Amino acid sequence: MVGTSDRRRPVICGLGLTEMGPIYGRHPAGFAAEAVRLAAADAGLAVSEIDGLLTSSGTSGGVGLGLQRDLGLTDLRLLSEMQAFGATAGAMVQFASMAVQAGMAEVVACVFADAPLRPGRSAGDVYSGGRRPDRAAAKLPPPAGWGGLLAATGVTGANTMYALAARRHMLRYGTTTEDFAAIAVAQRAWAARNPLAQMRQPITVEDHHASRWIADPFRKLDCCLVSNGGVAVIVTTAERAASLARPPVHVLGWAQSHPGRLMDRDPDFGLVTGAARSGPDALAMAGLKLADVQVAELYDCYTFTVLVTLEDYGFCAKGEGGPFVSSGAIGPDGGVKLNTGGGQLSAYYMWGMTPLSEAVIQIRGDGGDRQVHPHDIALVSGNGGILDHHSTVVLGSAAP
Amino acid sequence: MTVGPVARNTATGTFFDGTARGVFLLRRCRPSGHYNRPQAVSCTECGSTGFDDVPAGGGVRLVSWVVVPERPRDDRPPGPAAVPAIVEFDEGPWWWSKLVDADPAALTEGQPLRMLFERAEGGEAVPVFTPAAGRAG
Repeated sequence: MVGTSDRRRPVICGLGLTEMGPIYGRHPAGFAAEAVRLAAADAGLAVSEIDGLLTSSGTSGGVGLGLQRDLGLTDLRLLSEMQAFGATAGAMVQFASMAVQAGMAEVVACVFADAPLRPGRSAGDVYSGGRRPDRAAAKLPPPAGWGGLLAATGVTGANTMYALAARRHMLRYGTTTEDFAAIAVAQRAWAARNPLAQMRQPITVEDHHASRWIADPFRKLDCCLVSNGGVAVIVTTAERAASLARPPVHVLGWAQSHPGRLMDRDPDFGLVTGAARSGPDALAMAGLKLADVQVAELYDCYTFTVLVTLEDYGFCAKGEGGPFVSSGAIGPDGGVKLNTGGGQLSAYYMWGMTPLSEAVIQIRGDGGDRQVHPHDIALVSGNGGILDHHSTVVLGSAAP
Repeated sequence: MTVGPVARNTATGTFFDGTARGVFLLRRCRPSGHYNRPQAVSCTECGSTGFDDVPAGGGVRLVSWVVVPERPRDDRPPGPAAVPAIVEFDEGPWWWSKLVDADPAALTEGQPLRMLFERAEGGEAVPVFTPAAGRAG
């Protein structure tokens, strides 16, 4: 006999991906609404059957509570805009899972969309402040507050801040730019097999080294893409999913970790991230060990982020991430099936929805030329802020 | 001049009063004596909101740094690379700022730094750091 708690186990039943990349002229809310409609159609649900909605905006904003009206959804039982930066997608799936388990809602759509790219503006400028307006010429007052002070010294943007973290790892453990290159090359090899990927031309370590410095120790090929587009997943109960269109992807375990020491004294900065707590916690909830994981989809805003997360999750010992990724352990021929769609470095940059969506694709066996075997257990990380917010989700093809 | 302009507000007024007279004010907790960063609103050790704003003693070391080349812009040749950095005060707190007059190739973790103040026209004095052993090059 199946008990209530088994019937209400959370599953992902739908996945919707819009066109992603340099797609111009569309508002983020339009991408978000389309992604939700695609996810509902994928699940075999009418949009009107959605009774919970969690939204996540990227840098350009515009994906919030109003999405309910854009979708024509009335009398929702759950609605919220969420923000933990790159950890948001994982966090949305976690809250949606708890909501359906608790009976608060039955069908919860979780959506991220962003449209920061505009014609004639580089991806780096979008995220790093880049060519800031000439405040004096524009007769604007100087920026104020602690953020203004930071900006006055040129410490702006994620590239610089993550590079400061990566430098610490290199100084402490001897991690090298060759190690970072190994990750970029491996993920591009996966992307070459992924029709959704923006960058499919294979690259070499030499290509990595020839790419320009963005913020030494990061070169261009250490940095993620920037994409316009939207991704949605739909979370429901195992019971409801049984009569839907696609095989359920079970949400087996989850956890978050928020170290909370950013810019304060932090001996762990760049060396240990929230993944070191949220990974083991999520696996314990799922009743699994790391050795059970067959697919690893790790948040990759930079090559370095992948390396430090591999260590924190325990794929290798702390400090050995460099030799580990350079040993041939990753990539399509490696033993660890890591970022199998090319990730944010090579496929598409949809914050935490990038690793999450690829995990759903892999668990379902929809990976085509990049399909991993076996594909029953996937570990998904989300990382936000400057290594300041972490989410882990464990997905599986079967109920525990 | 390498820093940009920054204005004071209610949160930063006391700090910029310090930089105007050439000191970096840390927030020393009255009950615990713990040195908090300038942004602190309560002590990270004990939660107290009673602080004395005291000048850092001057000992500063290099924690991490990044070398950011200036992008070529229009017809102007690129200037020298910027060197954003994390530094550590002897009192404990870390501070994110930048290095000036530093040879990036010669930097080492933990090396002593000296604090300088730079001010953009119309802005407050901003602390920046340089290798203590003297100007590079």
